[in-house]
Amino acid sequence: MIPPRALVVWCPDWPVTAIGLDAATPAAVVSGAQVEACSAAARASGVRRGQRVRDAQRHCPELVVRDRDTDAEGRLFESVAAAVSGVTPWVEVVRPGICAIPVRGAARYHGGGTTGAGDEESLRVHVQDTVVEQGFDCGAGIADGLFAAELAARAGEGGVVVPPGGTPAFLAPYPVSVLGRPELTGLLSRLGIRTLGAFAALPVRDVTARFGVDEIRAHRLARGLYPRPPAPRPPLADLSVSTEFDPPAVAAEQVVFAAKSLAERLHEALAAEALTCVRVGVEVTGADGRTLTRLWRHDGALSALAVAERVRWQLSSWETQGEDGQEGGVVLLRLLPDQLVADDGRQEALWGEATVSDQIARAAARVQAMLGHQAITRPFPAGGRGPGERVVRVPFGDLPPEPAAEGPWPGRVPDPPPAVVHPEPLPATVTDADGSPVLVDARCAVSAPPHEVEIAGRRHLVTAWAGPWPARERWWDPARAHRRARFQVVTGDDRAHLLVFEGGHWHVEAGYA
Amino acid sequence: MPVLPVLHEVVPEGGLRPGSVTVVEGSPALALALTAGLEERWCAVVGLPEAHIPAAASMGGDPMRVLLVDDPGRRWADVVAALTDGCALVLTRPPDRPAPQVVRRLTALARRNGCALVVTGPWEGANLRLRVEEGHWSGLGTGTGHLRGRRALVVSSGRGAAGPGRRVWLWLPAPDGTVAPAAEIPEAIPETPSRAPVAVAG
Repeated sequence: MIPPRALVVWCPDWPVTAIGLDAATPAAVVSGAQVEACSAAARASGVRRGQRVRDAQRHCPELVVRDRDTDAEGRLFESVAAAVSGVTPWVEVVRPGICAIPVRGAARYHGGGTTGAGDEESLRVHVQDTVVEQGFDCGAGIADGLFAAELAARAGEGGVVVPPGGTPAFLAPYPVSVLGRPELTGLLSRLGIRTLGAFAALPVRDVTARFGVDEIRAHRLARGLYPRPPAPRPPLADLSVSTEFDPPAVAAEQVVFAAKSLAERLHEALAAEALTCVRVGVEVTGADGRTLTRLWRHDGALSALAVAERVRWQLSSWETQGEDGQEGGVVLLRLLPDQLVADDGRQEALWGEATVSDQIARAAARVQAMLGHQAITRPFPAGGRGPGERVVRVPFGDLPPEPAAEGPWPGRVPDPPPAVVHPEPLPATVTDADGSPVLVDARCAVSAPPHEVEIAGRRHLVTAWAGPWPARERWWDPARAHRRARFQVVTGDDRAHLLVFEGGHWHVEAGYA
Repeated sequence: MPVLPVLHEVVPEGGLRPGSVTVVEGSPALALALTAGLEERWCAVVGLPEAHIPAAASMGGDPMRVLLVDDPGRRWADVVAALTDGCALVLTRPPDRPAPQVVRRLTALARRNGCALVVTGPWEGANLRLRVEEGHWSGLGTGTGHLRGRRALVVSSGRGAAGPGRRVWLWLPAPDGTVAPAAEIPEAIPETPSRAPVAVAG
């Protein structure tokens, strides 16, 4: 089956554009130690995708190196997608940097009327101009199917139109590496098959006998066949649901009852789009104009009743918050799905992670109803030198962070861990035997042995001490950079403290009491 | 609620009864040690933003079964009441001395839900009081070594079976972060800062 004609808009070096660098700046976007994308100027000096950063810097010493920002890529591409949707509303964002529209219809509309190559060329130029007017460099190409259209967008000066039926011939000279399957590429080149044309010439029967599903798909691509047409999708509808109360609902029961049917409507709307939401926002507006919004973890796991129960908790927290909670009642209740994701079912953790029982989840949700989503947290291990950096608090129900890097953390304070880590370090003064302040210089030399510590206005003699453990952290980021030295001291009242010297001042970071 | 075996000397009946209130004075490490023996059960820490959970984890607690409410504010009593349902132990510091009816309500709820309360702060009518009467840190010299452990004299007092004045010497914490029994320190330790530093390995 020959896939429908598709037009692909391709913005070159999108990861570089997304972080606000233009093509004339030699720049590279890296993840880990590898170059993910580079600007045209960098490419001209020999920087390539997949290169190691140090090799890239050897080719181009003035290279600007940035971390990849996938969020920004998606966010910025929204403006390109919006511009293209002015041509035709059926825009499919393949990934940030590439979007596709079906050609049929759009070409007739933007062309002269009779179907022909001229129409498609004028559509291609029109779309390209639209995106360039937004300030983004782009190529646009038209071919049979997304795969060929993407290559057509990269071909020539700003893209070409491959005539209908000409796709296999257009694809034939491309190397097999454009299929994006490195293993298959290696295998085929060992077999002496270097171009898509040679790969497409292999009999289907032999490919099916020798390779797996994915390679068969690649073979179909090489022959100019593409099983997946661009999925036309209208601009995402507003899926939030709301209900008004006129006269205002005074009894909480009334609101909760409405919430249940509202949640059912929301779930139906989501299911119709094969979506589910990670969180659901509940927005309650009172007659006096106050609005209370809370986000609740959903993950597709909440029933309509469970959503209604959360609305009840939220209302109860409202009533106790203000002294005049009942006054006026509720006029508007809205449920907003947040973070839509494809609904692909749920899988409970098999082992390893401690599963949260319903009872704990209920208790935590009640605390969240009283104090908000952020108020109750779970500790997760993290990496760092100071004791406070070794744990992060994640709101209950949110996903835990990536597992901590098990780095050696040189300069880390050795075990045992302190029992107390002050959320805000307490100011302290440390003096030597003469009563003058103890200082630590840039070479981590201590001016004199500490003799006395003053914490919160109380003075203690130092009976034993050790240090410094120097830590110079994040010097590459001025906003978060730290340069400090840590000391352990035992005071005369047999308490032990972890002191920090930073920027000429002493603080108590933690206590071992 | 089970506690670490080394604490049996000071915690009567080998654990904390549901609905009982234990007051821990002056030692956050001792309070965390009480949460470390819960095995598969959950515990909550309310109003103690400075509590360092890795310390409890190194004593044997499961950090994945901890809930933290750092700032309960004015709704402290409601938060503790909600968490008694589900958690086996709630470690908390009241923002101020709680009123007698709040104390009665919380202990009744805790008894019904099978939860023990551990309080670091003022509390009327606790079942058990624990405190660290004496502590000696070792491992630190004058500019050398690092803290390795503390020998602590833990003293309990309480009503009924708890009885008065049980005492035990413990490593709190031991060099590996755990809680371990320790030999009593001889009386002969001089009180002056000129105490010879304990030899440090490593």
